[in-house]
Parts: sequence; C-alpha cells; structure tokens
Amino acid sequence: MTAIETHAPAAAPSAPPRTVASPGATALRLFLANPIGLAGLMILTALVIAALAGPQLYGVDALDIAGMPFQPPGEDPLLGTDYLGRDILAGLLQGGRASLAVGFTSALITVIIGVAFGSVAGFFGGAADTLLMKVTEFFQTLPTLLFAMVLVTLFGQHLTVTTIAIGIVSWPPTARLARAEFLRLRGLDFVKAARACGATPAYLILRVILPNAAPPIIVSATLAVGTAILFEGALSFLGLGDPNVMSWGLMLGQNRAYALDAWWTVLFPGGAIFLAVLGTSLVGDAFNDAINPRLRKR
Amino acid sequence: MSPILSVRDLTVMLKRPSGPVPVLERLSFDLDRGRTIALVGESGCGKSMTALAIMGLLPDGFVLESGAILLDGEDVAKAPPARLRALRGNAMSMIFQEPMTALNPVFTVGDQICEALRLHQGLGRRAAMERALAMLKAVQIPAAEQRLHAYPHALSGGMRQRVMIAMALACRPKLLIADEPTTALDVTVQAQVFDLLKDLQQEMETAILLITHDLGAVADITETVAVLYAGRCVEQGPTLEVMGAPRHPYTRGLWACSPHLTLGAAAAAAAPDPLQEIPGLVPPLGQRPASCAFAPRCARATAVCTHEVQPPLGVISPDHAVSCRHPEERAAA
Repeated sequence: MTAIETHAPAAAPSAPPRTVASPGATALRLFLANPIGLAGLMILTALVIAALAGPQLYGVDALDIAGMPFQPPGEDPLLGTDYLGRDILAGLLQGGRASLAVGFTSALITVIIGVAFGSVAGFFGGAADTLLMKVTEFFQTLPTLLFAMVLVTLFGQHLTVTTIAIGIVSWPPTARLARAEFLRLRGLDFVKAARACGATPAYLILRVILPNAAPPIIVSATLAVGTAILFEGALSFLGLGDPNVMSWGLMLGQNRAYALDAWWTVLFPGGAIFLAVLGTSLVGDAFNDAINPRLRKR
Repeated sequence: MSPILSVRDLTVMLKRPSGPVPVLERLSFDLDRGRTIALVGESGCGKSMTALAIMGLLPDGFVLESGAILLDGEDVAKAPPARLRALRGNAMSMIFQEPMTALNPVFTVGDQICEALRLHQGLGRRAAMERALAMLKAVQIPAAEQRLHAYPHALSGGMRQRVMIAMALACRPKLLIADEPTTALDVTVQAQVFDLLKDLQQEMETAILLITHDLGAVADITETVAVLYAGRCVEQGPTLEVMGAPRHPYTRGLWACSPHLTLGAAAAAAAPDPLQEIPGLVPPLGQRPASCAFAPRCARATAVCTHEVQPPLGVISPDHAVSCRHPEERAAA
C-alpha cells in the first residue's frame, strides 16, 4: 500500500471532526437520563440482588416448616407463614431465584427461536418465508397457556421443562417482528452494498442486518421477561409448577384457597410478581424510547 | 492486451406471467485495464441493469438470458454463486448512487472498509484497520484517523461517497462500477469525486465502468462511451469522436439536452437559448418494437425505420459504431 500512502496528505483544510458516540452509547445515555427507566432498572436490580444474596443472608429454607401455619406478618417470621407453616419471606427470596431465572431464560429462548425463524423468513422470502411463516402461524393459533400446560404435563413438572415450554409457546410474535424488520432492511442500499462487497447470506443476516434490526427485538425481549414471569406464575398457580422448587407462582397457587383468611400468604408473592413485571415493563419502555431514532431528541 | 472486461451479446430478460420481456438486448463492449467506459442514456435505458448483471446482482425476476461477461477472461455470467461472492468486492466492486443510505448506520466507517478486506483477503483486525486508514487517506478524507472511528451519520454526503470509494477500492479491484456516483452530491463535490476516481485509477490501474448523466465528466475522464437506448446500444466509440461528432440522432439529442455556458459579450448578444429536449419518453418494458425503438421520437425517422428490424451496430470508422439507418452526417456536429 505504499503507493497509496504517498498520496496521503490531504489537501483540504482539516476541520476537527466531532467526536461521535456509538449508537449504543447514545442509547445508554438516553436510557439513563430517563427517570422511568431508571426506576424500573432499580426495581429489577433490587429484586435480582435480593434473590441472589437474600437466601444466604436470611438463612431459612423456604421449604422447611418454620412455625405454626397462618402466622400473621409483623412478628417472627417477619412476613408470616403459609398454610404449611413455611416462612413467607424465605419463600419470596428463594422463589425470586426461580421466577427471575425462568423469566430471563424463557425470554432468551423466545428471542433465539423467534429471530432464527423471522430472520431467515424475512431475508430469503419466497418459499422459505411461506414455509416458516406457516409454522409460526400454526404455533400462534395454539392457545399458549393450554399448550404450555400440555408440554409440562407431557415432559414433567420441572423448572427446566417449564422454562423451555414458556419459550416454545411465546416465540411467534418475536418471529413476526424480526421478519418484518428483515423485510424492511434487506432492500436497503447498505445491504445491497454489502452484497456487492461479496458478503455471504449468513454474513448479511448476522452482521449486516441483525444489528440494525436489534432495537425493537431488544425491547420486545425485555417485555418478554415480564410476560414469562407471569406465565410461570400462571402455570404454578394452576398446580403445574415444579413442586420441589419454591417460586412466587407456586406460593400463590398453593395458598390461593386461603387467600380470604390469610391475605399475607398471597399478597406478598403477588406483589413480588407485580414488581418484577412492572420493572421489566418500565425498562422495556425506556429502552424503546432510547433506541427508537424517531423518538430520539438529540 | 486482452480487455479486463468484455461483455458479449449480453441479453437480460424480465420474467413476467405474460412471458419474458427483454430489458437488455445483445449488449457488447470491451474495457481495457486502467481505462474508463461511460454508459449514457436516459433513465430506464438499462444502464444500471448492465451494472447489476455484471455484478451478478440482478433483482428478483430478472434473468441473464444469454451472452458472456468475461472478467479478465473468466465468464462471470456462468460463475456459481460462491465464485461470484469471491469476486464481488475483490476483483470487481461497485459504488452506489446514494452515499447517504449505502453505509450501514450502526458500524463505524473503519469497520465497513475492513469488511471487504477481511472477507476476501483474510486480514486480521489490526492489518485491515491499517489498510482502511490508508484507504481513507487515499480518498483524501481530512483527519482520517478520527474519521476511521466515526459513524456514517456524522459525515457529509461527499465524505460518505469518498468512504464508499475507499470501500470499493480497498481490495484493489480490476473493475470498478460506478453507478451515478455523484448524482446525490452537490456540484463542487461532484468534480472532486471524479478527480479522485481518476487519480486512484491511475495508481491502481482499475478499469472503471461509469454510469452517469454528467456529460462533462464523460468527456473529462472516459476513453470510450456507449449510448444506450431502451436496452440497446445505439452508438459506441471513442469518447472524443462520439461527443464531437455524434452520428445517432438519439446521441445528438442527448448532447443537445445539456446546457452550454456562454459567457461575457457572447452571452449578452446571443438570443436566449432554451435548453433542448427530446420529445416523448423511453418506451416502457414490453413495448419495445423490433424496429428502431427511437423512431417514434426521431425527427429523421422514415417508413423504413418503423417497418424494418433495428440495424445492428454498423462500423463507421475504426471503433466507432452506430445503429441507425439514417446516421447524422459527420459534418453535422
């Protein structure tokens, strides 16, 4: 390249170029400037820390009998006991692990399956698109809760099965979103330009289009976390949760018969689910505002 | 010396339910190493289609019906997709019309120039970045070190087109296709971009296929010109000869459509010289007769023009060929 370098010194007067933040950094700055998003992030962080560190610090096993059943909150244990005499606070801390793990993992599964289907369908179009979208529609026509219940019944009441089942029933909307983004982006000039540079289809999908399609997918993934937590709650509430792993949904489900006599047995786990879903929704909305260039105010 | 690019009887069809419709008909031209050919003609005459056919990037529905596209002796018209991908961006590359949208908004300029280098030449990140920097300097971007890490939205149109040129030339291609590279830029920048292309061409010995409406640029930087009308080549020859003494009525009409600047006393004295136009429109796809497609718009057309098949390119002088039954007299220019 020596021939080129000899050519180098630029004749034009060099104005100092503006230092420009990457799109990611700009989005992060906007996100952190949004009080709603920060509030959501704080709620989520508090819940995650409580779930991770809480059980060791509190030292009571959620499945152990801690005292008389239906002890009201306020004394010892702090948040009372359930119908078996298990410590509610220990249940909240330990159950948070399962609920949050299920939430994040199933959202990840949702995104992976959804993006795989949607990107291939949207990028190639034609027969591949038709086939993949028929499959997507097939999954979409199944009632999600019933389908998840069937999967859990068939493969056993384990937390892993629940997580995968939730991921399997929730991906179609993500697939449609990803497909729409890929359809929009694949015709744009910079994709053509990358093609003219000799990019392979895989390179175009993963390196050229996906980073541009990411913002709405990230937002939908954030919201999917909240939905998955609710979903796990619903399955456990119906008695299809993993009976050996404490979760917020399981607490709700097992104590639902006594909700009128012992409000604390359902209010606290219900409140925890509410907070987790609220937190993810706020974060998701703030992400949306920060990433969406049309709403962006520079 | 055999030409770098040799297009032979290239015919492209658009597949329609009612049957295939010709888009390009038996187009032929040669391009030598380090030389430039211009494709000129109105919009819809098949200039961009020619470029996309050579790159193997015809849109869905368009098929390369027959003909050969020899790039340094290799027929890319028959090359399998994997071979085409290996050639694109490496042996042949393309600059697009719209620099504002042809760069990926989420990657830095440096990353994008590195793309082709890493895909085709297997360079590591550091080596590719060094080459990218050298390319940015070669296209005369000021403060190249900082620009390397800039995102496209921070650059002006002219800067972006320079970046596009840097990307296209990063692998030192044998053939560069520039599809209206300056249409979206303002006039002062247009001249800079053409000068830049010419300079880089001399260094790299790249052959350039230039598609443009800018006849000044055609006269300035090309050696050969091919005039397309309705998917057919109507006149072809050395630029000076074709521009100085156009023989096809369409070529003459096209030349007359560009404004001529008269300055000083001559301008004041001369009667207002309205910009000429060629009446009518390019016939749309599927409505192109086998006879001369330009005849309906041609002042010189006679019955024989509309009843007989359009004549093949007939050689008038060495290298200069025209497809017309009533070519303009040489003195007419």
